[in-house]
Amino acid sequence: MRISDYIEVAAGNLWKKKLRTVLTTAGVVIGIGALVCMFAFGQGVQRNITDQFNKVDILYDIVVSSPRQGGGPRFRGRDDPDGPRRGGRRGARAGANDPNAPPLDSRFLEEARKIPGVETVFPELRFPAQLRLGAREQFTLVQVLSADICRSGKMPLRAGRCYDANDPNGMMISDSMVRRLGLAEPADALGKEIEVVTLSLDFGLRSLMRMAFPQEGQMGLPVARTSYRFTIVGVAERMPFGGISDAYVQPAMAAGMRKLAFTNIWDLYQPPGQGANHSSVTVKARSPADVASVKKELESRGYNTFTLMDQLDEMRIGFLIMDMFLLAVGMIGITVASLGIVNTMVMSILERYREIGIMKAVGATDGDVQRIFLFESGAIGLLGGTFGLALAAAVALIVNEVINAIMAREHAPRMAYFDFPWWLCVGAIVFSILVSLLAGLYPTRRAARVDPVVALRHD
Amino acid sequence: MNADRFIETTGLSRVYACGEVEVTALRDVTLSIARGRFVGVTGASGSGKSTLMNLLGGLDTPSAGTIRVAGRSISDLGKKELALYRRNTIGMIFQSFNLVNAYTAIENVAFPLLFAGVAKKQRLDRAAELLDSVGLEGRKNHRPTELSGGEQQRVAIARALVNRPQILLADEPTGNLDSRTSRQIMELLSDLNRRRDLTLVMISHEQALLRELAHEMISLQDGAVVTREALR
Repeated sequence: MRISDYIEVAAGNLWKKKLRTVLTTAGVVIGIGALVCMFAFGQGVQRNITDQFNKVDILYDIVVSSPRQGGGPRFRGRDDPDGPRRGGRRGARAGANDPNAPPLDSRFLEEARKIPGVETVFPELRFPAQLRLGAREQFTLVQVLSADICRSGKMPLRAGRCYDANDPNGMMISDSMVRRLGLAEPADALGKEIEVVTLSLDFGLRSLMRMAFPQEGQMGLPVARTSYRFTIVGVAERMPFGGISDAYVQPAMAAGMRKLAFTNIWDLYQPPGQGANHSSVTVKARSPADVASVKKELESRGYNTFTLMDQLDEMRIGFLIMDMFLLAVGMIGITVASLGIVNTMVMSILERYREIGIMKAVGATDGDVQRIFLFESGAIGLLGGTFGLALAAAVALIVNEVINAIMAREHAPRMAYFDFPWWLCVGAIVFSILVSLLAGLYPTRRAARVDPVVALRHD
Repeated sequence: MNADRFIETTGLSRVYACGEVEVTALRDVTLSIARGRFVGVTGASGSGKSTLMNLLGGLDTPSAGTIRVAGRSISDLGKKELALYRRNTIGMIFQSFNLVNAYTAIENVAFPLLFAGVAKKQRLDRAAELLDSVGLEGRKNHRPTELSGGEQQRVAIARALVNRPQILLADEPTGNLDSRTSRQIMELLSDLNRRRDLTLVMISHEQALLRELAHEMISLQDGAVVTREALR
């Protein structure tokens, strides 16, 4: 028999039993639809998270700390088994965590820039401050960020522009800070003057006296408040540069400010004489391939490193487990659908028992008979897979709209929560056909084994 | 190949197992049929006529003995070879017509060509030609349920001829027909036997018609050949 004949005969036989074909196919449609929908959701979650990493541009960042400066606890190393589990686990190679490693000073910044694959190097410097705009006050960490990094395009803007050398009092805030300061739109913040109140250690006589004899309404700590005025020139997206800070100032301006500058609490214990050293420096690689080589080079120099690429690898394992779970749930639907196919095919064979006998009497081989029924089974799979994919796309569209409508109330940006890569679409149809063929295997073998003499006597 | 022994059976037996009981449907049948002959087979119900026909048609395999057709042994063929034998050498006609009700007359006639891998257009052309030759020009697109018994049997005859077989096996082709139609069908088959040089083996209870049209007649009883009579 020709392939075109198998297709024609299968299509004709399915068409003759329209209702049964539709019902059986509906089972496959629901099974494949559920499976694809879950898989697409898993893919969407993965893509969104990966995109977010890419968007905030910290995926290629290598955060470097020096064990000599007490940066060790931030990244667990060989000498700190109880430290928090972060990138240091991978950083604990030969050379890393070296207590004799050189400090993270300006010389380190210069040398790090020369490592092949490094795009830029900047110290991680943040300080706590209170932002005041009119009657609103918000506490945040202000990040010191040079104008050239801001202008490099790594910092997506919602409104305004990046600051530059001409506006030393220029400040940038995130769009979440815009809302926290009571403004409706990012553009509303532009040009507004904002007060930044910093805290700094004050060991002057008056401060020590206050500490010794605290009065009501005054802080008992040796801390001084200093107020500075900035003009908002730009609004960045929600999570630029890791999403830790909501306000950004230039290094030149920050250098003259009184502040508690720290990346972690260990900075406060820094030994005297290390004021020019940084507790942490971000080294930005040019590409994912450069991350590994730059990281290796830094570790060979005795520094601790942490990269989100390492975290992403661990997340991928998590995604894989999630995908497997979704697959297992989806497989329940497919199993039920394939039982429906088995049932339909067995029924079809019983109904066409005599016809099978006629086929054999006029010269059909067992293989011809089996293939006729397998094509019918496969056609159900093809239809089920195609319409299942369409169902999944429709469900994804609706669910996506509902989630976005809910998230819009939280001012979250619009996102696609489902992802349908081409391999998922093709794979779903191929998988549907394979499952259907597998389900049809037993009934079709049964059809092929029919004794023509018995079948021709069958009523 | 000896033309006098176109179909030849030697010690042919068929035993069916019904649970632990064995039923002998055919026992030690040895006969030969010459090419182009019209042989009638008669016998009471359960005498083994249909079993003999199924064995000659390659639908069943013997428990003992051999069958040779056109000099080739078919009793030891595999399943696939038997299917090819049925497709290329045999045309079968049944009492109950055995047409596919979902197909039209022309589709039923073209059905065997499907398995021979013939293109659709050629299939339909050949089927139409055969339907014309059995007098069903205007009934090509009718389904079996829309045809009379005689017309259905003509469709079945056209289907049996579509692969240009050498042997036509007819198992009581007039069993479900009235006497007038029975005669028409018998005459049609006899005509095909003559014009197409077909070897025709026909089971029938219409002894008078067989005596009128067949070349010889074989009578079976309890699975064995009891008489063989040359009629012309």
